[in-house]
Amino acid sequence: MKRKVLALFLVGAMVSSFVVGCGKSDGTDSGSQSESEKNEDIVTLKYATYRVGNHPSAAQEKACLDRFEELYGDEIKLEIEELPSDQAYADKMKVLAASGELPDVVDGKNGIKELAIDNGQAVDILPMLEDDQEWKADLSEDAIQANMSEDGKLYSLVALTQLSGYFYNTEMFADAGIEPAKTWEEFMDNCEKLDAKGHTPLALMTGENCWATNILLAAMIGTNGEAGNEFMNTKYPDTYQTPEVIDALERMKVLLEKYTTEDAIGALYANAANNFMQGEAAMFCNGLWMTPDFENPEKSMEGFSDKVGIAMFPENGLMTTYPEGWVVCADSPEKQDAAMKLLKVFTDAEGQQAAMEYTKDVPCGNNVEITDQFAAENPLFAQMMEDRKGTEYAFATFDVTAYPTVVDSFSKYYPDLVYGNITAEEMAKKLDEAAESSK
Amino acid sequence: MKIKKKWVVAFLVPSTLLFLFVYALSLVVLLVTSFTQWNIGQEIKFIGIQNYVELFTSTVFKAAALNTVKWVLLQSSVHVLIGVMFALVVSRRAKSWHARFARTVFMIPNIISSAAWGMVFLCILNPKFGLLNSIVRLLSQEEYSQNWFMDPKTAFLSVTMIWLPFAATVALIVSAEMTAVDSTVYEAASIDGATYFQTSVYITLPLMKNAIATGTILSATSMLQKLDIILMTTNGGPGTTTINMPLLIYETSMRENNYSLASAQGIILIMMGLVSIGIINRIYRMNKED
Repeated sequence: MKRKVLALFLVGAMVSSFVVGCGKSDGTDSGSQSESEKNEDIVTLKYATYRVGNHPSAAQEKACLDRFEELYGDEIKLEIEELPSDQAYADKMKVLAASGELPDVVDGKNGIKELAIDNGQAVDILPMLEDDQEWKADLSEDAIQANMSEDGKLYSLVALTQLSGYFYNTEMFADAGIEPAKTWEEFMDNCEKLDAKGHTPLALMTGENCWATNILLAAMIGTNGEAGNEFMNTKYPDTYQTPEVIDALERMKVLLEKYTTEDAIGALYANAANNFMQGEAAMFCNGLWMTPDFENPEKSMEGFSDKVGIAMFPENGLMTTYPEGWVVCADSPEKQDAAMKLLKVFTDAEGQQAAMEYTKDVPCGNNVEITDQFAAENPLFAQMMEDRKGTEYAFATFDVTAYPTVVDSFSKYYPDLVYGNITAEEMAKKLDEAAESSK
Repeated sequence: MKIKKKWVVAFLVPSTLLFLFVYALSLVVLLVTSFTQWNIGQEIKFIGIQNYVELFTSTVFKAAALNTVKWVLLQSSVHVLIGVMFALVVSRRAKSWHARFARTVFMIPNIISSAAWGMVFLCILNPKFGLLNSIVRLLSQEEYSQNWFMDPKTAFLSVTMIWLPFAATVALIVSAEMTAVDSTVYEAASIDGATYFQTSVYITLPLMKNAIATGTILSATSMLQKLDIILMTTNGGPGTTTINMPLLIYETSMRENNYSLASAQGIILIMMGLVSIGIINRIYRMNKED
């Protein structure tokens, strides 16, 4: 009897909760007709991002999204999917690209842009950009051209120019009696002098995408005459078995063997950055976006920002790239219009200003004023802007020019190169094989 | 009788449907796509056995398959042996505090996430501040630095040591089976003057045959799924020293965007699993009366 009563009670509870659930929904519909009509006019836009949590661009992105909400919150509802790691983001987007279900706006990094073009989701945004000349004027022609496809279509937009030379510890340089090198021979000589004084010359890493190491490798190749510079500015080069690549790999082998920290082989970006910011290495190759970390007591030792200098690579080389930026994958005209509004918030002069202030990214257009106050507060940024004028060799990174399989191969074959399992020539051949697997 | 049959059918239908739609359908899709060319964003087209031909001429595939076989063999022999030995030793003083303590400690790798376990080993084997190098430096009083995960000479061994000695699952299965053995069997052996070693070898182990076989199958097949720890520690490197089949499938699908080639690799991996189980069943003559 008791069990029957209990069963009856449970069934009653389930039915009543079901009815209550339905009832609430009905009440909303009948009670706010005007609200419902208003909702029909709101466009829902899906956006996926990895610039969240501890990501260096998280604050900048939040500022842009707040501005978007302020400007278009009444007409566009933004559904944001946060993926808190670059790799998790790339993997998820690739799976969605396979089924043609990419969100309405995505970042085109790690080959996602190419996949969106291949699966037909990427929208040519050039006509829509042409319709807004004021916005177009905020973007440099170089930035637009960098993302233009061979068929004259524009599938993505960026807000910034990535500039990278290297940071150096001024105290260690003074102790070794050296200045930033003008030639690669001088650079190697500086490493020797730092080493002789008991300072580890370079913070390198071969884990993840070998970021800091590959900027230096790209610099060696990109400043090695016309052929090397052309190679480092060519998307998906035909072969890596060139004299410039092999020379650079041989020099990199020496640097990894003799002039870096003992954990460099296999180290992640965080390990290498930490080695530099804790005063355990004299040089670190990275872009201006790293400068806020030098004042962060959780990342750098006390007073570290006063000891950091910035320099271009030997032969007046400077990594200068435009990342892929944002791609519109929305299918309906309404959503495409909403997506363009989001891209505008990210990339117009105000968006570029936010990128500059929050992450010290270099604006890609000329409509952002770098005030004297900003320059005084950010001396490394100001010096890089000054040095930039003397650039003889501008080059891109492997992350921009190579297939993801090639970037991945660097982390696998650097250890083999350093431990003598393969030669520089053999490593270049391995890179060709990795590129072939992506074609 | 009819009512009983109805109940049997009623209970079998959900799991059968689940198997058909989740596993069987996926297997069919995997098999069919392995005979196609299918890259993300491109049209699928039938290419026959070309993917399989490409696989068997690829040095990376050969390395991944060979490493997987090596790990399956190590896991189904050394790992199982460690688990069984542990169960035998602990069962001798099953209720003592040190046996309970040892069982708990041995279980730790199984109760924390493999990502955390990988991080623990990344710290232990770190060339700069790792515990292992520090101990060697302390004992030798000399400068010592060994990059355990990245030196081609030590990478395979270093990765293997993350899971090889930690055989808690095998130990648990065997321990559970031991408690089911009638105590009169041991009493009889004791009256006949059998030593602990003789009892273990001639009575316990033969009675544990099915439990050991189950542990062996679980251990061997776990090596066909190992991905996260390798991805975290060596990413398959240096070169192809520590690449295995799951990592190769991940790279082929997520980095090369080549789903059809990854499907062919998946089919090979499934066949490796079936062959492993078949061999283990045959060795242990499972489900056969002695």
